[in-house]
Amino acid sequence: MSTQNEIVNSIIEFIDSDSTNEKEFNDLSIQIFAYQYENNIPFRQFAVQQGTSPRTAKTWRDIPPVPINAFKSVFLSCCEPSSLGRTFMTSGTTQDGIKGKSYHPLLDVYDASMKKNFKERFLGDLDDLEKIKMGILFPDESSMPNSSLAHYLSLSIKQFGTHCSRYYLDSHGINFEQLFEDLECAQNTRTAFALLGASFSIVHLLDKMEQENQRFNLPPGSRILDTGGFKGQSREIEQDDFYNQLSTAFGIPRSCCVNMYGMTELSTQFYDDGNETCPAIKTGPHWIKSRVVDPLTRKDVPKGKPGVLVHCDLAHFNIVSTILTEDAGIEVNDGFILSGRVDGENAKGCSMAVDEFLRATK
Amino acid sequence: MTKFTENAGHIPDFLLADVKWHDLEFEAGADTVYVKVPMLAPEQCTQLSDKIKISSNNFLRQEKVSDIVELIDKAIERLLNRDDPFRIKAEQLLPIVTGFDKEMVRLSLTEYLKTFRKPQLLKFLNEDFPNPKILDEFQPAIKGGFAKAFGPNCLLHIWAGNVPGLPLWSFISGLLVKAGNIGKVSSSEPLFASWFAKILIEIEPKISDCLAILWWEGGKLEQENILLRAADVVLAYGGNDPLKQIQDRTPITTRYLPYGHKISFGVVSANVLDAQKSWSVAHNAANDIACYDQHGCYSPHIFFVEQGGHISPRDFAQYIANELSCFQEKFPRRSLTTNEAIEIAKWRNQQEVLALSQPDAEIFSDKDGAWTVCFSECPGKFSLSGLNRTIRVVSVSTLETIIPLILPYKKFLQTVGIAATPKELFQLSESLGRSGITRICALGTMTKPEAGWHHDGRYNLLDLITLTEIESSAETASEFFANYTD
Repeated sequence: MSTQNEIVNSIIEFIDSDSTNEKEFNDLSIQIFAYQYENNIPFRQFAVQQGTSPRTAKTWRDIPPVPINAFKSVFLSCCEPSSLGRTFMTSGTTQDGIKGKSYHPLLDVYDASMKKNFKERFLGDLDDLEKIKMGILFPDESSMPNSSLAHYLSLSIKQFGTHCSRYYLDSHGINFEQLFEDLECAQNTRTAFALLGASFSIVHLLDKMEQENQRFNLPPGSRILDTGGFKGQSREIEQDDFYNQLSTAFGIPRSCCVNMYGMTELSTQFYDDGNETCPAIKTGPHWIKSRVVDPLTRKDVPKGKPGVLVHCDLAHFNIVSTILTEDAGIEVNDGFILSGRVDGENAKGCSMAVDEFLRATK
Repeated sequence: MTKFTENAGHIPDFLLADVKWHDLEFEAGADTVYVKVPMLAPEQCTQLSDKIKISSNNFLRQEKVSDIVELIDKAIERLLNRDDPFRIKAEQLLPIVTGFDKEMVRLSLTEYLKTFRKPQLLKFLNEDFPNPKILDEFQPAIKGGFAKAFGPNCLLHIWAGNVPGLPLWSFISGLLVKAGNIGKVSSSEPLFASWFAKILIEIEPKISDCLAILWWEGGKLEQENILLRAADVVLAYGGNDPLKQIQDRTPITTRYLPYGHKISFGVVSANVLDAQKSWSVAHNAANDIACYDQHGCYSPHIFFVEQGGHISPRDFAQYIANELSCFQEKFPRRSLTTNEAIEIAKWRNQQEVLALSQPDAEIFSDKDGAWTVCFSECPGKFSLSGLNRTIRVVSVSTLETIIPLILPYKKFLQTVGIAATPKELFQLSESLGRSGITRICALGTMTKPEAGWHHDGRYNLLDLITLTEIESSAETASEFFANYTD
């Protein structure tokens, strides 16, 4: 049976290998499954309940996907709590107020996964050691130590940001004055600027800019990365409107506005290749694979039909690598499209909305 | 593939020429229904409410309540007649519009409509008015003097569409108290109220100007505000948040009757769990779950099953699962949108995860996810089902232990379906009543309230009327002024 060290080394090696060999992915996924089955007791119980074990699983598709709400109530980890380095928790207030947790004994794999993928997908046109001026619209890592996104952004700025990169959001909100000044400077000195942050913070920025009639024409090479959608954080904006507004407000073509789809329950992120057209196709690197399943039968739906996403992320080695999300999606080409909720579709049923019910006891 | 077009709504003739229509589209399988609903401009809303007030004064208020009962009875008789064109349409279109199984809609409609025939309507009246003539003329009051009940001149209904035919409850209540009725149908079931209005008008054309069945987009406040101001009584169904918004826009002098979302559950005593009776109890429980796929406020979310019977709560959960599987053959669950399926999956995933920490828990489910029964030995918190034939069955040591579990949700409770001995029934009903339950019925009838049901424990008709009392002093004093006085 593999040790944590061996698993970590195999994964980092695989990440570095650029292998697109299906068999190699499968072999490693089953090796990680066996490791998690052995060391993560609740996961083993779950796999038994689902009638699967590393003996019977032949490919990554056979690994039972763990529903993400298990991350809330079950201690899913291959190592003891005492040897945990970092715990990431989901944001947002969920129905029951309990947060999903991802336990990381070390962040080497997470960081390797993030850096390689980020460089390729967001900064693909930059030379190896080239850096870019970054502006982050999200709190820094020290103020949100349990946020995987804060860690992600901190890695991005440390690894790829020039020394004058900075955060523009803290407990007092967005520092618009400084941000506008720096954007103007980037515009005037023709220095490429990368703006990264939570989608809803960027919406707040857009609102402020419109209010103050503020616009920039950032030089070529400038780009924007948004993530997280607008889930319950203010009004929903049509994706097309959002990227049109971004493009107009910053003078950045929609093709340079990238959306990242990541989850606390994973160690690898998905990106699109810009949002020239919406919805853009999301793809991940060679160490993560996704399929679209019927939410009730958990069987693959035919390509092109809607279902929920299952991801098998080899980098998420300490918890469980294969998760069943609550995100609706459609498989296309070599990636997927996230399909948003249709308003009012859950309104059927006198059976009250769950949140109303839960509020009853508060 | 069949396409149907149906005109819904009703507008008095004088406005008809200038009304705009909106198309609502419904699809089920290969069939599509386009429903045209009338949308009034703000100024038309004012004209409409004025007209309805005048017409109901001139016609409905002049009618005897017994004549109105006859009229409703005739309309219901037509809807019960399977050869009637409206009944044929209902059986054909409602399954497409709501997605519910055809046979289930047919059977449930009949059961439902039966509660509005003449004898049942008389019971309905009698529940609230020991002497229904009080709706026709001043009647002697027990305390002395005389009293007459006046229905609202203009009653505005804002209906929900979770279960087909639901608007009939308040619509018929409005008619019985001789109110002019304006109803807003829901986008998810705009047809039934419209058909009922059309049949009434076919039978009695004079009622046409006393009724309007409308639709407007959610959030179109201008029209809604005009009607809220025009109405004497506003009756609305829906979630608490939308209900609150309506309340905020309703004048303080207008009576507002909100019917918020409610939840219901089932209770099974150990005494009924023997080898002979358990199957039929489970059948009835499954019937309550399957009927309209738990979309009603009276549909069960959880079954509390008492330990100590010959059949264990776990076996009983298995019985329910078997019965649900039979119901799936007979009346398949409506097909779900991806988002609805995700909602069920979330609930089921949550139950699965809970089961990991409770070795005694068990999940029964069919391979396509058409129904799910989650059994647990420890009741945990009272929680909702995932709807669409998903149910929790939990074991309890005694029936009374249910009370503390449900008490926090007092404001949201409605129906309890119960299988217990007479002694247990009355004992438990006392505690259930204190915990906010307003309706206790046999298992198998949770979705079929009896005629005269007091919805959410309220007086359906009394809540609508105002009483005008002639005090005995006025009567006595009038004698003094009579021309025959000596």
